[in-house]
This record gives sequence, structure tokens and C-alpha cells, in this order.
Amino acid sequence: MSDTSLPQELRETMARAIRLEYWNIFWTLTIIVTMGLVLGQSQTMKTAWIEDTLGLVPPVMFLVAAHMERYGHRSRRFPFGFERVNGLGFFVAAVALTAVGALLLYNALMALGKAEHATVGSIVILGHDIWLGWLMIAAQIYSLIPPLFIGRKELPLARALNDKLLHTDALMNKANWLTGAAGLAGIIGLGLGWWWADSMAAAIISLDVLNDGIKALRSSTAELVDGAPRALSSTDLSEDAQNLCERLKAEFPGATIRLRETGRLIRAEVHDTHPPSQHRHPRYYWPEGEDRAWRLAQVSFIPPIEGDGES
Amino acid sequence: MKFGIFSAFLLLGACDALPRDPAGTSVRVAQMQSFTVALADPTVHGAPEVAKLVHEIERRTGAHARWLPGSGEALFRQLDDGTMDLVIGRFAADSPWATAVAFGPTLSTSGATDTPLKLRAAMRNGENRWIMTVERASRAISQEAREE
Repeated sequence: MSDTSLPQELRETMARAIRLEYWNIFWTLTIIVTMGLVLGQSQTMKTAWIEDTLGLVPPVMFLVAAHMERYGHRSRRFPFGFERVNGLGFFVAAVALTAVGALLLYNALMALGKAEHATVGSIVILGHDIWLGWLMIAAQIYSLIPPLFIGRKELPLARALNDKLLHTDALMNKANWLTGAAGLAGIIGLGLGWWWADSMAAAIISLDVLNDGIKALRSSTAELVDGAPRALSSTDLSEDAQNLCERLKAEFPGATIRLRETGRLIRAEVHDTHPPSQHRHPRYYWPEGEDRAWRLAQVSFIPPIEGDGES
Repeated sequence: MKFGIFSAFLLLGACDALPRDPAGTSVRVAQMQSFTVALADPTVHGAPEVAKLVHEIERRTGAHARWLPGSGEALFRQLDDGTMDLVIGRFAADSPWATAVAFGPTLSTSGATDTPLKLRAAMRNGENRWIMTVERASRAISQEAREE
């Protein structure tokens, strides 16, 4: 077994994901700077800018977790290595998304309730007075492009690595066109004299952030409290884990099977049964062939304890 | 090529169409051929930029200025409820009204260097077309506004 937490066969895929996440951070920074230059008083732009800034959290957390998984050795202080760092990063990203989403929604609704009229004036470029809204629209259009490509590239890597943090980031990036469209509609609406369009678009964007955050929070807390492994894209139980459970039940009839997830790995406990006499690698029990067998890191057997039922 | 030229014309047309004012200040000024203006502080009346700015707005809108009396907070409230179109005065850089009204570019600066007072126009928040008109007029008559 590897001395670090990352299975050997994932190293190349992980290296590709790390390179992609550095590019992700670079392009996100260009978006943050572009949007920041033309923020103005628009609630939509401020919300979209904060959303873009928040977009840095998942890739940064992924890189930190990946570094620890790749280079953090098991030690006396950390005998199980750092395979759960990814889960912790997922939780941190989820908390950030949820908290900021709620705050942005509150701000947008307050602005809507107070009927705040956003002022977007003009600036001079090459001797011409240009309405700042046009630059905001250009920045919003620019902010749509990089996430679309990055999200598309992240998805297969996230599936291969079974990485929820990367998967959440991929889905957020792919769905970014929705918030971008809301942002564009907000600025154009503001330009058309619909004062409410700005706050309304901000509320829609913040609802999307909040929704992403709550979904990620539900999935990440399930892992932290040793819940059964969850699917990558939802809070439903993972199909891998359900098949594994069936496989172990078939192998050990009458046993109670408990599965939990530590990062991308699954650990199984087979209760009320003795370990088989043959020495078997945990991967032997994986039901779907070898390609994802690395997910099963451990199978423990807990024999029946006499008098256990009496207490 | 033809499509490109057509798109460029469409875009230029759209450039002029936006922004519009939520409360229709620019349309009203054009229809009534007048706009209301007041001085936040009577002492600024002597500043040459005040008359120049008002004349420039008159020239650009084809409307004439209707001067109204008033001072201080009451004028800002009138701006906010739409009964006043323009308030000109010397305002501190960190004016508490900065979020309640929209300030135009600085026409001139006076006072101490650590607490400068900026001569500028204030408009109703969100009336973006009207605000742009005043901003353009401010830049047309003041070097300081152009450099801001």
C-alpha cells in the first residue's frame, strides 16, 4: 500500500487535474480583475464579482487537499494519512458558498425592498464618453467563456478521481452561463430604465450560489459524520457503494454491512461475521471489475460478540 | 462583411439607446424643455464653472434651466423624490450623501488640502441617462473633470 493517501493508479489523472486547476485559478483571476474594473454601483455586478471571487475557493481547496494527499506521509500523528483533507476542503467550500450566498440574497432583497436605484454613469475612453454599463456587459460576456471550457474539462477528471470538490467546481463552472445570463439581463434591464432588474438579477445569482452551497453542505457533512458514501452529483447514495454493499452481502450472508467514505475512498465494516480464512486484498470485494477497485481501501470484520444481544 | 457592417450599425444604434432613466428625467426635460436646478450653498454662485455647466446642459438638451431656491438637506430630499433635477454645490470628498445621490465629476477643488471641497453637481440616483448628460457637460467645461 502507498505511504501517502492517494492510490497509485490515480497519480497521473491527479497531476492533470492539478494542472487544470492552476489554469482555472489563472482564468478566474482575469475575470475577477476585469469585473472589478467596471463594478460601479450595480448590485448585479457586485454579486457576480463576489460569485466569481468565490469561484477561487474550490480550486484552491482542491490544490491544498491534493498536495497533502500526494505528499503527506502517514505518521504517528496522522496514522491514516490525509485522505479526508479533500472532504474537509469540500466542507469549507460548501460553508463559504452557503454563507456568502445567503448574505448576497439578503442584500439583493433589501435593495429590492428599499427600491434602490443603481447609478451607472459614464467613463471616458480614448476621448469618448461611454456608458459604464456597456463595459459591464462586455465583462459579463467575458466572464462566461473560461468557466464553460474549464467545467467541461473538469467533469471527466472529477469522475475518474471520484472527487466531489472537483465535481462541484465543474458543475458550478458549467452552470455559470445561467448566472452570467442573469447578470447580463440585469445590466441591460438597468440600461432600459428598469431599476428593479439590477437587484432582481443579483437575487437570482445569489439564489444559485446558495443552492450550490446547500447541496455541497449536505453532501460534505454526510461524509464528515460517517454517512454512507454519496453520489458525486447529488446527495443520493453512491451507486458504487450500493453495488459494493450487495456484493459483500452476497459474500457474507446474514452479516451487517456498514460503509463510509473517507475522501475518495470507501471503507467497509462487515459485522457479525468472522474474517474469511483466505488472505484477500480489499479490492477482491469490489463488484465492478478492476478499474475503480482502488476506491475500496479497507474491509474490516467484526465477529459476533457473545452476550451482545443481552445488553 | 455586410453582416459585420450591419451589426456595427445595430450596435451603434443600441449604444445610443441605452441607458434610459427609470423615472424618465431626460424624456421629461426634452418634452418640457426645462429642468430645475438649485445651489446647495449660495456662495458657489460666483464660481464661473456653475454658469458654464448650466449653459452647457442647456445647450446639450435644448432645455432652459429653472432656478429654484433652497439649501442643504432639503434639496437632496427634493432630488430623491424627483422634484429637483440638479443641485450644484461644494461637497466634501466623504460626503454622507454620496450613496443617496449621484455626484458628477469634480468641476474645481477648493479648501484645505486634507479636507478639500469639491464643486460638483448632484443628481437623482439611478437616472443614468440624465447623469450621463451632466457628466458629459461637466467634462466639456472643466479640465479637472476631464482628468478625474
